[in-house]
Amino acid sequence: MRRYLRLAVLAAALVALTAMAAGCGSKKSSSSSNSSGSSSSSSGSSNNQGSASSPSKSYDNGSSTKGGTYTVGWEQSFGFTDNFDPTGEYLGNAWGIYVNLLMRPLIGYKHLPGAAGNELIGDLATDVPKPTDGGLTYTYHLRKGIKFGPPVNRVITSKDVAYALDRLADPKDGGEYGFYYTVIKGWDAASKTSGTHISGVSTPDNNTLVIHLTQPTGDFNYRMSMPATAPIPPEVGKCFQGKPGDYGRNLISSGPYMIAGSAGKFTGCSSLKPFSGYAGANGNHISLVRNPNYDQSTDQYRKNYPDKFQFVINSNADDIFNKVEAGQYDDEQSSPSPKTLRQYATNPNLKKRLLPNVGDRTWYLTMNLTQPPFDDIHVRKAMNYIIDKQSLRLAWGGAIEGQIATHIVPPVLYNNGLAEYDPYGTPNEAGDVQKAMAEMKQSKYDPGHTGKCTAGACKGVLMIGDTRSLDNRMIPVIQADAKKIGITFTVRQINGAYTTIQTTSKNIPFSERPGWGKDYADASTFFAELFDGGAIIPQGNTNYSLVGVTPAMNTSKKLGLKGNLNNVPSVDSDIAACQKKLAQDRINCWEALDKRLMTQVVPWVPYLWSNNVTIVGPKVTHWNYDQFSDGPAYSLVSVKS
Amino acid sequence: MIFYIARRLVWTLVVVFCVIGITYVVFYKLPAGNPALRFAGKSPTQQELTEIEHRLGLDRPWYVQFGKYAYNFFAGDKYGWPGLGYTFASGTSVKSLVFSRAPRTLLLIAGAAVLWLVSGVAIGVLSAVRRRSLTDRFAMGFALFGISTPVFWLGLMMLYIFWSKLGWAGGTGYVSPADSPTGFFSHMILPWVTLALLYAAFYARMTRNNLLETMGEDYIRTARAKGLSERRVIFKHGLRASLTPIVTMFGLDIALLVGGAVITETVFNIQGLGYLAINSATNQDLPIVAGVVLLAAVAVALANLVVDILYAFIDPRVRYA
Repeated sequence: MRRYLRLAVLAAALVALTAMAAGCGSKKSSSSSNSSGSSSSSSGSSNNQGSASSPSKSYDNGSSTKGGTYTVGWEQSFGFTDNFDPTGEYLGNAWGIYVNLLMRPLIGYKHLPGAAGNELIGDLATDVPKPTDGGLTYTYHLRKGIKFGPPVNRVITSKDVAYALDRLADPKDGGEYGFYYTVIKGWDAASKTSGTHISGVSTPDNNTLVIHLTQPTGDFNYRMSMPATAPIPPEVGKCFQGKPGDYGRNLISSGPYMIAGSAGKFTGCSSLKPFSGYAGANGNHISLVRNPNYDQSTDQYRKNYPDKFQFVINSNADDIFNKVEAGQYDDEQSSPSPKTLRQYATNPNLKKRLLPNVGDRTWYLTMNLTQPPFDDIHVRKAMNYIIDKQSLRLAWGGAIEGQIATHIVPPVLYNNGLAEYDPYGTPNEAGDVQKAMAEMKQSKYDPGHTGKCTAGACKGVLMIGDTRSLDNRMIPVIQADAKKIGITFTVRQINGAYTTIQTTSKNIPFSERPGWGKDYADASTFFAELFDGGAIIPQGNTNYSLVGVTPAMNTSKKLGLKGNLNNVPSVDSDIAACQKKLAQDRINCWEALDKRLMTQVVPWVPYLWSNNVTIVGPKVTHWNYDQFSDGPAYSLVSVKS
Repeated sequence: MIFYIARRLVWTLVVVFCVIGITYVVFYKLPAGNPALRFAGKSPTQQELTEIEHRLGLDRPWYVQFGKYAYNFFAGDKYGWPGLGYTFASGTSVKSLVFSRAPRTLLLIAGAAVLWLVSGVAIGVLSAVRRRSLTDRFAMGFALFGISTPVFWLGLMMLYIFWSKLGWAGGTGYVSPADSPTGFFSHMILPWVTLALLYAAFYARMTRNNLLETMGEDYIRTARAKGLSERRVIFKHGLRASLTPIVTMFGLDIALLVGGAVITETVFNIQGLGYLAINSATNQDLPIVAGVVLLAAVAVALANLVVDILYAFIDPRVRYA
């Protein structure tokens, strides 16, 4: 008995240890954007400081023609957060598939790279409406005649969009970004009781949807471009009420493609069987075929060249890139190894198929404003001066991995505004000891004004890191830099470090792990979630620096904070003011807030605006980036048949 | 004998229960983070978290969760027996998912096991019979190479040479034998060889050492004195006695590989049980990980039982009362 128990326990423990060596990732990060980086520079280390120009590389190799199958190798697993059910799905890669191929929200995009890709267009709606009633009412007019794919096969009406919003609000249907819609009148009531209609959403006729807000919200049209707001036929959606994720296997198309196996006629919930083209989040493929009910004349921006799309799970990243090179895959959702990057960057024949594009994602070192020594702004400023961002980027893999970040939000979200703004600029972005020491001299932790932190609070400061090879390369750089101004770190590397730093009661002073990407092309998706004191929560908290926290909040929300909570700066009123503004005023407002945060609050050391690097196969005849979904513009790609 | 088997089966159930307890603690109580957070989006409200925890069954006291978990395993759940629950990520049956991946792993193990057993024992015998000859040195050199070579490296080299350069093998991925028998063999031959090489090396060394030790026994001298041929002495008297530890090792190795062939599965993109477990761990899909661990543990326990029963047939000295 003892022997068997020992062996069985050994087997369990082995798998357990391996399992615990794995971790969790951040929300809505695509595989490529979460790239592990590489150990050597693949494209040199030139300082791109001041260059707003972000790489925006497309690929053309002959004329685009209809036909063929576009195959995408997808590393490891789909990683869906809600089983591909658009109401709750929060994975960027899934959004790319939705908005390019399967769904038509009221508001859409041109599926282009750069700032043009962030411009709103009417998709299911005829145009992008201007708010009325002092910014409180939005009226959308639907294009006529757009139909759902099989097995529903009927014309889409405004009630289908209203139902999608109801479903998003329903607490039992798994919505994961309902917080963007709490400004809709009646949302809160609907989110408290399952099956309640949102009172602020009305459908005067089948082609009109009116939404009343409780406060002016300048980016509301952007919010209506999110996949969860795309039409869902209520007769199908209600079959899955209270079963979050299940609709993903019976997703009814409103776009140019549909999940393979969508067929027949819907006669009731019992007639629905999961579509064969998608076997669930734990499955290993998604097959999409043309939607026979799609009318190209209603869609100006999607071109829909391939007859079929295949998304195939492959456990081996090297194998994915071998298959891309061999033309067995046309595209990948993976992280190229340093060797692969070098191979493509140095071979002129391959280089044209190496396609870096701006990922709309900032990577940063976060400092907790309540924990010594980072409760002193001069220490935080000194950290911004001392960190060698160039070396951190090299740790990632060099210039191809992105542009060195000099403030909070990537310039592309300001329409390339603040591109030259660099409040802590140093030569070659490699850090400046003199400037850092000058800041440190003003700190209470340097009473002797030596330029180095001499207080005990600076010794053995806890730094939480992850366990990726990238972290192993970054952490020594940060340690060496901080030591120059007297700060030493006790490093604790945790697999899936996000969970730890998102728990407020852990009181983590410093972490090198965080990165943040946009949800849509408005800077509010950075500021409101990362710096709004009201959004601080005990678990899953993303305001790591605790900007805007108060002692009262600590008590009422049971945050478990132990530190200096008095006089923590707040930008809540700035965020609220910017949220009400529109167009360029809004951008200007966010830019001003970005500057304020960088100079008066200083919660981060931002160091990289990362690229998404894609490698396409030799059969591809056109590829470009979709800035909204931060991935391939599937609706515009083409392959040789 | 029947009483012995029945008694062992009861003990196996006890072992499985213990493993369920350990599995539950390791996967549900020890992880630092709340799995509900993965399905809660950014900045979830407490209400949303509570709803997800309720949906995943994480809101009940731990002993209730554990009791239900253990009961379902033995008595079955709505998906049948054994009750392994449903996946967090897709809400579908863990059992059907595990069973759909199991053939891939079992066929990988079966093919590799045949290769390593045949080649490992043959090389070991050859090496023992021709002790200190060039053949022996070469065989032990092979064993050293097999033991020292990391599986992931060997797998990648195999792919590079036999698929990428020579085009002899089918490459990565899994082709069901029902869909294409030739495709199945051409895709599986490299993973079989890769996995088998490591084990064949161990088996060769073990067979050699056991056989050398056995061949020094008195009864071998007696067999030779009776005038039996050297072939008969080696295979009937020597090898049979030295096989007992090999059988033990063989049973356990196969059982351990049920959840432990993850590197081979990953390199060759077979996506079997081990890969499923690791991948699910990455995504915090605890029921899948726990399901694979449980099945691997049951496989180890049952393999032990089978091995012990086989002893009686291989070694005449072993009898079960």
